[in-house]
Amino acid sequence: MFKNEEMEINLGPQHPSTHGVLRVKLRLDGETITHCKPVIGYLHRGVEKICENQTFFQGQVWTDRMDYCSAVANNLGWAEANEKLFGITVPRRAQYIRTLLNEFNRLASHLIWLATHALDIGAMTVFLYAFREREDILDMNEAFCGSRLTTTAFRIGGLREDMPPGFEKMARKFLAKFPTCLEEYENLLSENRIWKKRTVGVAMLSAEDAIALGVTGPVLRAAGVPYDIRKAFPYAAYAEMDFEVPTQTAADTYARYLVRMAEMRQSARIIQQCLDGMPEGPVMAKIPKILKPEVNEVYHATEAPKGELGYYLVGEKGSTNPYRFHVRAPGFINLQSLPKMAEGGLIADIVAAIGTLDIVLGEIDR
Amino acid sequence: MTEPIIPQAPEVPEAPAGPYVYDYAASPQRQVVMPKTVPLPSYRTYLAEVKAAAEADEAKWKKMQADFETAKAKAEADGKDAPKPPVRPVPRKDDNDLKAPWPQEAKDADLLLLQELLGAKVEEIFEQAGELTCQLEKGAIYEALQLCRDHEGLRYEMLADQSATHYPAASDFAYSVVYHLTSISRRKRLRLRILVPEGFVPESACSVYPSANWMEREIYDMLGIAFANHPDMTRILCPDDWEGHALRKDYPVVGWGQRDVAFREDRGGMIERIALQKAGQLGINLKQPKAD
Repeated sequence: MFKNEEMEINLGPQHPSTHGVLRVKLRLDGETITHCKPVIGYLHRGVEKICENQTFFQGQVWTDRMDYCSAVANNLGWAEANEKLFGITVPRRAQYIRTLLNEFNRLASHLIWLATHALDIGAMTVFLYAFREREDILDMNEAFCGSRLTTTAFRIGGLREDMPPGFEKMARKFLAKFPTCLEEYENLLSENRIWKKRTVGVAMLSAEDAIALGVTGPVLRAAGVPYDIRKAFPYAAYAEMDFEVPTQTAADTYARYLVRMAEMRQSARIIQQCLDGMPEGPVMAKIPKILKPEVNEVYHATEAPKGELGYYLVGEKGSTNPYRFHVRAPGFINLQSLPKMAEGGLIADIVAAIGTLDIVLGEIDR
Repeated sequence: MTEPIIPQAPEVPEAPAGPYVYDYAASPQRQVVMPKTVPLPSYRTYLAEVKAAAEADEAKWKKMQADFETAKAKAEADGKDAPKPPVRPVPRKDDNDLKAPWPQEAKDADLLLLQELLGAKVEEIFEQAGELTCQLEKGAIYEALQLCRDHEGLRYEMLADQSATHYPAASDFAYSVVYHLTSISRRKRLRLRILVPEGFVPESACSVYPSANWMEREIYDMLGIAFANHPDMTRILCPDDWEGHALRKDYPVVGWGQRDVAFREDRGGMIERIALQKAGQLGINLKQPKAD
């Protein structure tokens, strides 16, 4: 009468909890996941091929559209990789403004993660609060570069424009109120019994597994590895900033939540330091209008909100296009760990596992 | 009883039947421009280039001097004023912030240790733009990866990135495969590189670094390099039945099966067709010029 039979189900590609078009093939034994296989590629646009057929400058608009929740971080990695390829030294003021915008972007990205992750798990209210603060950051993006989401904020060699008048006032006003906003989110979630039941001990990934699978960012730091590229291989103005790398040892979804909340506090600290210590001077290096590299290959990694974002560029002598343009997207590598997190867990927890990885399919499929 | 006069629509040209382009020679704007050089950074090539440039410069200077001597002798014979002696040209200095990072001799301890451990399997080591590169013999990559992870003096725990590049202009290889290793404990990065010919199957890095799984699948999908002993060597971004490998240099930028009609032309034709149809329904002949 009773039969032991495994059931195969599809999660996605069109499912609100998969944050885009991710398909996960699941095999279930009752409610337990025995096998999990992510299937990607539904959003593949061939960004690498397109960038190889455009000039060095034109590639930036494509980086915006990879991880659209943190376009500034993508722009920063792209700009710095190009600068490394050509050997350009960026003025110090431009470095500070880049750091400032990058940290604002980290706040926006973590806020959208918090909002959607909580919404997936069932806490609706946080969504509304987090989007309220994110709106202010997008307004600042708009004040700085005219667009809110796909920013195209930087140029190779620095910035197109200095900060607009009134930008500093906007930033300081935001910083003054932001700590109380963070407390609001924490009041709603940190000691919430339902939140803790859905996150504590869910989707575990030990430090050894995370390193072997190449997982970086808050997921690795929540397993107790204090690896942050801003500290380990400083870029932009991070060498001059005083901040901490928050870590947790529990390696579960709740620990990742705590790490990201602590990271937002550190980001606010960095923004404060950037505003206080903003140097004077030009914002653009002196570079020719048309850039042609020597034969060279560079791999430049930056700490995007989701993890290590690397650009691998190969320059061809006398050519205005990159010979090879490769992106090491943090989401692509982090998603590899989903089977490790989900297998053996309950079907209800896969939504938490996908949410805690903080994936954006735009950068995974590229 | 008279027949109602129904204005007849003029002959409307049929929409083009969609010549699907498979013959790229037929459509000039879609031809693939193949690269002519092999932009593979290497200290050895760089040294050879510098030497050749210096020799060319020296030969040019000698020729200038010889020309001057003959001109001088000729002027003396003709009884004219002697010509000006030549000035050696100085390379022009650009006034900008560009400082191209040239390859430099390997001085880093990790590279020297790798060379000592692997001996003749290391083809080349050099530093460029602050990055360490070690080029290996293509069969030795698995051994080198194991060594990088497990050796006490190296300890590269993470394979951060793996990628490949197509070099169709090269004669003795077709692809370079690069491995970017990160040592979290020692805060260092290292690039391993192998050069593989068409059809060669390199050993998969999956059993040393499990993170290579998807990255090797992506290389297979995009460039067509298959890896041996990989747990799941299938396409990852493109569908399973996709033809060709998109990041090869001979792959066209427009996709297969696109209509060979430029959008602008097509739209213009469409508008004209609609206008003719509407005019025909109203009994206006747009094709006839107005008589004065």
